[in-house]
Amino acid sequence: MSSALKKRIGKAVTWALTFLLMLIICMPGLWVVLTGFRPNREVLAKPAVWIPEELSLNNFAQIFGFGAEQVAIPVPAYFTNSLIIALTSTAIAILIGMSGGYAFARFRFRFKDGIFLGLMLSRTVPGIALSLPVFMIWSRIGLIDTKPGLIIVYVALNIPFTIWLIDGFFRQIPKEMSEAAQVDGCTRWQAFWKIEFPLARSGIASAAIFAFLTSWNEYALASQLTRSTDSKTLPVGLMDFTAQFTIDWAGMSAMAVIIIVPALILTFIVQKHLISGLTFGGVKG
Amino acid sequence: MAEIKLQNVVKKYGQLEVVHGIGLDIAHNEFVVLVGPSGCGKSTTLRMIAGLEEISDGTISIGPQVVNELPPRKRNISMVFQNYALYPHMSVRENLGFGLKIAKQPEAVVADRVREAAEILGLEELLERTPAELSGGQRQRVAMGRAIVRHPEAFLFDEPLSNLDAKLRVQMRTEIKKLHQRVKTTVVYVTHDQVEAMTLADRIVVMKDGWIEQVGTPMEVFNHPLNTFVASFIGSPPMNLIDAQITGDKIRLSDGTHLPVPERLENHVREGQEVVFGLRPDDLTPQGHGIAENGHRASVELTVELAELLGTETILYTRINGSEVLGKMFDPRDVSPGERMTFNISLDKVHLFDAQTQKSVRLG
Amino acid sequence: MAKIEKRLPFWQRESFTPFVLLFPAILTLVLVVLLPLLFSLYTSFTGYRLIRPDSLYNFVGFRNYERIFTDWDFWVAFGRTVLFLTIALNLEFLFGLGIALLINRITWGQRTLRTIMMFPMMFSPILVGYQFKFIFNDNIGVLNNALQSLGLSDGAIPWLVDKHLAMGSIIVAEVWMSTSIFAILLLAGLFAMPRDPLEAAKVDGCNPWQVFRHITLPFLMPFAFIAMTIRSLDVARAYDIVDVMTGGGPAGRTELLWTLIARVGYDNSRMGQANAMAYVSILLSIAFTYYFFRKLIAARRYMGGAN
Repeated sequence: MSSALKKRIGKAVTWALTFLLMLIICMPGLWVVLTGFRPNREVLAKPAVWIPEELSLNNFAQIFGFGAEQVAIPVPAYFTNSLIIALTSTAIAILIGMSGGYAFARFRFRFKDGIFLGLMLSRTVPGIALSLPVFMIWSRIGLIDTKPGLIIVYVALNIPFTIWLIDGFFRQIPKEMSEAAQVDGCTRWQAFWKIEFPLARSGIASAAIFAFLTSWNEYALASQLTRSTDSKTLPVGLMDFTAQFTIDWAGMSAMAVIIIVPALILTFIVQKHLISGLTFGGVKG
Repeated sequence: MAEIKLQNVVKKYGQLEVVHGIGLDIAHNEFVVLVGPSGCGKSTTLRMIAGLEEISDGTISIGPQVVNELPPRKRNISMVFQNYALYPHMSVRENLGFGLKIAKQPEAVVADRVREAAEILGLEELLERTPAELSGGQRQRVAMGRAIVRHPEAFLFDEPLSNLDAKLRVQMRTEIKKLHQRVKTTVVYVTHDQVEAMTLADRIVVMKDGWIEQVGTPMEVFNHPLNTFVASFIGSPPMNLIDAQITGDKIRLSDGTHLPVPERLENHVREGQEVVFGLRPDDLTPQGHGIAENGHRASVELTVELAELLGTETILYTRINGSEVLGKMFDPRDVSPGERMTFNISLDKVHLFDAQTQKSVRLG
Repeated sequence: MAKIEKRLPFWQRESFTPFVLLFPAILTLVLVVLLPLLFSLYTSFTGYRLIRPDSLYNFVGFRNYERIFTDWDFWVAFGRTVLFLTIALNLEFLFGLGIALLINRITWGQRTLRTIMMFPMMFSPILVGYQFKFIFNDNIGVLNNALQSLGLSDGAIPWLVDKHLAMGSIIVAEVWMSTSIFAILLLAGLFAMPRDPLEAAKVDGCNPWQVFRHITLPFLMPFAFIAMTIRSLDVARAYDIVDVMTGGGPAGRTELLWTLIARVGYDNSRMGQANAMAYVSILLSIAFTYYFFRKLIAARRYMGGAN
């Protein structure tokens, strides 16, 4: 076999594998999205209907309460809760994480490695294991089934990883930048806001997006700490569907689409910074 | 106006002391170079003057004011960093004007000063670019421009040329010298490169392990090194140092060669003293190939192991009792390895150091 | 500056600044993680039941621990969890490596592929679970539909009901969700890989496999361990998947440690015992993280001055 032919076959195999890979990654999600636009009877049809005959926004209208048929699940309330809880907890976690990440990036201090390890280990506690005592304590102090109750937990959940990422981004900025600014007449505070913060801004934004998605997607804690429309989030709400006698696959898929879309958009925005943040934080230690 | 005084300045990191109570007076408008191998404390000293490191003990004053407790911004100094530390998110113009803007100078003043600095450094064309769009030499110039716009009491340079390639380094070295002649200010300049130190300095401060080894003009430091460290650090190739002993009015080198003790050093040595005999390669030249062949001379016969051609001169590698000794051949001819040659030693240029203290015997 | 240090109040000293900056983070984690964990440690020594609040003070010593250590269901769930993690993490690493090597060979459209690859990572685990529940559904699931339409199978294969198939289906979902983090970090490693050693090895006469085995792979290992460390921070996300796909059923056949904790704690409201189990699961997580963190540090040292 000539080497040119070999090369061509190699290339074809590479592309075929890549195509298969992308199919495996994309198909499940796309199938759910497609289902979100199809009527239930088509989803349930036997034998299976492969080419959709009818696509509409009916499912979305229904779960938001506009449709002819009423769905018993208050998706708009869940959506609002999710948004408020994720945004608030992200904002707080980023402020705290920025301050902590800066400390790790710029200062040498006692117990530095120990504190860092401690922060990271706090993240390893499985959500369900943490939910038990938090559930008991929140019940006693009246935080159960409230938005602040969940927000506080999500802030704590996001701090370690936010610090890991932001630490990495600050360390990519040479220390001399801040020193030069201080020699140029800045206080340390001014040097931070005028030089270091603008330079780390895109990195911090991606840490924020990551934190937002963690809160937006979280289920284990939310499923135990929320009870009603006051605080239930979308992932918990999704399980409402399975509690019904027959699963409303189409409605459930429509709700899934609502959860997926922000995740996809934000991933797209954040991907480049996230990769550099993760590798930098880990490899350069 | 702006002399800088260091008195008994100490720097400790925890238990580790890296600068051991050094003292130094830098005169107004003087160009002082701190030079030494890495880890000698020169950068730490500079950063203490800048206020970027706290001092553990002693006092530093700039002008009449003790600045120990002042943050960098209140010391009215400016600094050029090794990697320039230009603000990547600002244009050259904004970089230059940043310090003045922070100081809330009126915009007209900022524009004026930026123009003035850009003119001095030839940056007029580059003002709207960002640092990423500049070459190494241009970045270097912007960093210097940022230092001069503020009309500070002193410039501090922290190894500013070490990131440039050899050719550019020589060019920028001249520019820094010119800049100092034009903008008269006190300069403290840190480098590990003794050539930079020799060419730039009014006075050189040689440091090692957190101590000052010698302070003096380039010629003083070159011609009269106070100890073997300074002798071997300043000058390239470094000074040959050979173990020797004083016997009568002779210096007996470790291989048995006898040389007369130069007259000017006769009163500084005693019989039987263990010494280190120092001789610069420039002063060990094959017969007929020296610079000045007059004055007191002695000669030795040595085997050339290797000849390194540099064009106008050739470095000859020989050996005295096992230790490598370098000589220089001016107006060179071809030399083949293994050739035995007669070398002249300029006795006027001989250095003697006490073997125990490693200090020049002239110190007593 | 020793004199000044004495004059300033302690919270204004330079050496204290990092602690001021870290204070909010530490405070939050102490309040939301450490204190509750101490509380749950206490309750794991009581016979606390949610429906009988006074039982919180009913101290039973190590009885909860004794009970779970002699409880066959617990050990089955524990063993299954460890097995599940071992299989899933190894598959994720292997697939991730394969994908990274594959994408690395492609020059055109690489950025797009890389972005697409990140999507599963950003999916809510609950969605991943739902998605695969939908695919593996025996009646209307796309997988059975496809098999039937292609004539490969007549009946409905009970993907989520059969003992082995159910666990396999869950592993598929888990691997689908988490392989990308390996792929992305290993790809970043491949990008960062210096060319010189590769070329030196080729000149020294290594065949492609030897180059991969002795040069590429050792260089990639720290990146794999970053991925492992990040992954071990959230292994318990598998709870969400299992909860939505099978709920631990049928008849406890897919019960993992985490679903068991939820069942004992919330459904059976035996908080004391659930907390004892939770502690075991926490130690398991910490052990995983610690193990990979050490590996990461060792691998980084092995790479030596490379950084």
